[in-house]
Amino acid sequence: MSDARNPQFTPEQLAEIRRLQGLYPDKRGALLPVLHLAQEVYGYVSLEVEEYVAGLFELSPAHVHEVVTFYTLFFQKPKGRHVVSVCHNLSCHLMNAKGIIGHLEDRLGVAPGETTPDGRITLLTVECLCACEQAPMMQVDDRYEGNLTPEKVDRILDGLP
Amino acid sequence: MGENKTSERIFTRNFHLADSHRLTRYIETGGYTALAKALGMEPAAITEEVKKANLRGLGGAAFATGVKWGFIPKGSTAPKYLVINADEGEPGTFKDRYLMERDPHALIEGMLIAARAIGSRVGFVYIRGEYVKPWRILDGAVKEAYAAGFLGKNIQGSSFNFDIVLHRGAGAYICGEETGLLSSLEGKKGWPKIKPPFPAIKGAFGHPTIVNNVETIMAVPHIINRGAAWFAGLGTKSQGGTRLYSVSGHVVKPGVVEAPVSVTLRRLIYDHCGGIRGGRKLKAVVPGGSSAAILTPDEIDIQMDVDGPKSKGSMIGSAGIIVMDETVSIPEALMVVARFYAHESCGQCTPCRESTGWIYKMSRRIVEGKGRKEDLDTILDVAKRGAGTTICAFYDGAVGPYISYIEKFRGEFEDLIRNSARA
Amino acid sequence: MPKLTINGKEVEVPEGTNLIEAARAAGAEVPHYCYHPALSIAGQCRLCMVDIDKVPRPQIACNTRATEGMVVHTETERVKETRRSMMEFHLINHPLDCPVCDQAGECFLQIYYMKHGLYDPRMTDEKVHKPKAVPLGPHVILDAERCILCSRCVRYCDEVTHTGELGIFHRGDHSEIGLFPGKTLENKYSGNVNDICPVGALTDRDFRFQVRVWYLDTAKSVCNGCARGCNIEVHTNKHRTHHNQGRRVARLKPRFNADVNKWWICDAGRYGFKWMDDKSRLLQPLHRVGAQAAEVSWDRALPELVTALQRARPEEIGVLASPQMSNEDLWVLRRLAEQLGVKNVDWRVPPRVPGDEDNFLIRADKNPNGRGAEILGITPGGITPGQGGLDAAGMLRAAREKRLKLLWLFHHDLWAAAWPEADVLAALEGAENVVFQGTNANEASARAHLVLPSAAYVEREGTFTNFEGRVQRFRTALAPLGEAWPDWMILSFVGKALGFRDPVFAAERSEQVFDALASTVPAFAGMSYRGIADSGAMVKP
Repeated sequence: MSDARNPQFTPEQLAEIRRLQGLYPDKRGALLPVLHLAQEVYGYVSLEVEEYVAGLFELSPAHVHEVVTFYTLFFQKPKGRHVVSVCHNLSCHLMNAKGIIGHLEDRLGVAPGETTPDGRITLLTVECLCACEQAPMMQVDDRYEGNLTPEKVDRILDGLP
Repeated sequence: MGENKTSERIFTRNFHLADSHRLTRYIETGGYTALAKALGMEPAAITEEVKKANLRGLGGAAFATGVKWGFIPKGSTAPKYLVINADEGEPGTFKDRYLMERDPHALIEGMLIAARAIGSRVGFVYIRGEYVKPWRILDGAVKEAYAAGFLGKNIQGSSFNFDIVLHRGAGAYICGEETGLLSSLEGKKGWPKIKPPFPAIKGAFGHPTIVNNVETIMAVPHIINRGAAWFAGLGTKSQGGTRLYSVSGHVVKPGVVEAPVSVTLRRLIYDHCGGIRGGRKLKAVVPGGSSAAILTPDEIDIQMDVDGPKSKGSMIGSAGIIVMDETVSIPEALMVVARFYAHESCGQCTPCRESTGWIYKMSRRIVEGKGRKEDLDTILDVAKRGAGTTICAFYDGAVGPYISYIEKFRGEFEDLIRNSARA
Repeated sequence: MPKLTINGKEVEVPEGTNLIEAARAAGAEVPHYCYHPALSIAGQCRLCMVDIDKVPRPQIACNTRATEGMVVHTETERVKETRRSMMEFHLINHPLDCPVCDQAGECFLQIYYMKHGLYDPRMTDEKVHKPKAVPLGPHVILDAERCILCSRCVRYCDEVTHTGELGIFHRGDHSEIGLFPGKTLENKYSGNVNDICPVGALTDRDFRFQVRVWYLDTAKSVCNGCARGCNIEVHTNKHRTHHNQGRRVARLKPRFNADVNKWWICDAGRYGFKWMDDKSRLLQPLHRVGAQAAEVSWDRALPELVTALQRARPEEIGVLASPQMSNEDLWVLRRLAEQLGVKNVDWRVPPRVPGDEDNFLIRADKNPNGRGAEILGITPGGITPGQGGLDAAGMLRAAREKRLKLLWLFHHDLWAAAWPEADVLAALEGAENVVFQGTNANEASARAHLVLPSAAYVEREGTFTNFEGRVQRFRTALAPLGEAWPDWMILSFVGKALGFRDPVFAAERSEQVFDALASTVPAFAGMSYRGIADSGAMVKP
């Protein structure tokens, strides 16, 4: 099992990283793709992973930390098995995003930014996911779920292992 | 004015087909024929055609595309990069998502033609990290294109080589700003770059770069195939063609609407999208993504080209239309929008970094019933002092709603503040 | 060389000059934070806006190059109003820490607010809170709330020290300067970030809470920590002696010299001043008999030394000078040795632990005037070429073998030398008379029969010659402690007391000594204090 506190990429993963680095005129261009890869492998981007990746790019760890703290999709702490990101921007707000968020808070018993105690779901409020035609909507892991009602939200949550 | 010149479907012509994203369907419906034509044209001729077509940037800045391509220094032997801005993030906009999911090969073909025009051998598609499904579909199309010899070396038997690299973002609206995107592509924070130098001179990795929006590039094959005059003729004097309008909010039928740029905002709302839901009344509408100044119901008889919204002090931007009916609290809407800009400010330059947070705090305080009467003038004054002083136009995009919501609905704000004081 | 007009005044500047520097050449100061001539252009603070003819909006001066015929205005109403706006933006979240912030008095938020702001603040919401009083390293402490995120420190660590410790994390108004968690800012030049930070975000840990800057006096000087001779300012506290724990020297700051150290100084040099006020400072001449040491006046000490010099034959005298001594000190010493006929003169003591060196500023030779000693010939071969004479090792051996009646030691810490401790001890015990002349007590001075207190270089003026042959002036920052005197003055009194007529022994100011040396030593020909001024002069090849 890949340990975020003691990261070590496999030879295959390292080969993939080299391949990604080769796609850019400066290998630093591959930093975001490699951080995505690292997050997939280790579940989140720990400080140890940051320092490890920094070494692979000959960057100072501080500059990798800058990147990880700047972008919202990199998790610096372990996240739930599922990430539920509810949009609270304008079009969704007009279509009762507040009610959907409140419903999720009630159902999951956590506030946005928190993970359920059983580690199943991390709830987040996010800015525009650009699916306003389906407002109110949320992103569940990789997919978009829109035209939400409390009932639809319940069905989706029930379907998450 | 208002009448469709034609029910011409360019961008959405294949949207109704379930397999519109597959190479077989794309070729069947005339795909990659523009590429063949372009391979036989001089690069300068391609740029000329795009110029004559009056194609304007469809991502938000509305710059003349052909003119932009012309900024690449002639005779430069430096590598040139074509970078596609697929970091769609402007609230109210979703058309690029549709385009990438349903017509990825049109993006590839458009990139190939643009690359030939500017002399690029490598194209990067910067796609926002949240767009996982579009990324997977686009990745599949790129693999199909390589397998069929539309990408890689000696494309279609010519001496033209071109590679595409898909690059996922990681969650930052500012990466939709041209040079913020380039910084992010380079593996850094998405901090926009100070200009000069401009990207065409010194862009990605220090080399000449053209950044174009997804939709803009996807117009190019059609322009090559059917001619600049045809494309220009579909639109208005200031802008050619059709475009995709993203309509959301309190309309009956939210969604993507393709129309010539001469279409009016009224027609888009009431004819294409079924009018206001529940038979309610229109209160306000944002015409070009959240960064565009808000319009009132008496301001919607404008053509939705690059000049129409400008005539009312707003902008066409990304053509993200957000419709608000009479149930909407404008102070709440301002708070939501101010929260967005505070969250997305990259933090690099002082006016934006410090005041987006402060203005959000003030707007929230107003909504929470703790507004003070001087708050409105403070927000307006601070916004006006910062406008035009920042590294990029992000702050000007924030200033659009800050000023227009308060100036056009001041009474509603003042009532809220007055009632709060009384409570 | 473009010619442009700034505020109606025409100036010509080198190609590529930005408008901040061009304005400076025209006598106009353009306020700025993030710009620094040593660093890449950031364009982040937005304070340096100026108006340019034919350009609709004000432009940042730092990123605008002067071009031929450009017409620039730095004091229009619009520019002034923009500056006032930028000051307000900078102060929105800034904590009102002035009463407890070390930067007060030299803070560019204060300075520019008073000059360009003077508005009534209207930010009454809760300010953003960030970590305060976070040590980043041994010499730097961070207050992230005070930080204006100009990024000078980040760019410094990337572009000057190439160590990359600092970054700006998060985004928006939660942006924060910091280190990678768990790491420290411990490159050898870390103190410079405190200088380039325009505000009280990065401050000096050593100086923290010691004394308010407006009480400090400043003198131009040269660091004595190594052979580079970085130019410095010595900041002294004479007006609030109950502050700074009674120490006179509050801090050293680098002084710009384009040819030596630019804007920088290493940490060892920056913080190498505690010895100046340490209790080990020698304040009075000391006379030791057996285990008993007693303070004596100069009136007693000097005649004792003179007598010892007269009683010994020249070959029984050993003079171990030091590259800590100035050109003036060494010149008078040389003159004295010549007059006495003493051939056993040297300055070179090999260190046990070789000094560290890098390809930036730090030199392995941890003395300021080795090159001066070399040029002035403070060696047996230098003073009396071809006539023999003992070098340093030879002198110590002679002392051990009881062939030295007088061993005159200047400044050296012989216990840090490469020679075995037993040999050094035996030498000090073997010489009939040991005279130690220096600033601070050490193992050698504790075994000397006569101890003479030297004034520290900050307590007098003079010149050092750096490793490249650059002669640089250091100026008086303080009065000498106790009864300490400059070495050249002590040596002059000895020379005069011995009856020698060389006019250099009658010198009353170090400039007179320098003029004498410049008129005699070809390498220094034509040099004068005035000519050396504040940036130094190279010796003749």
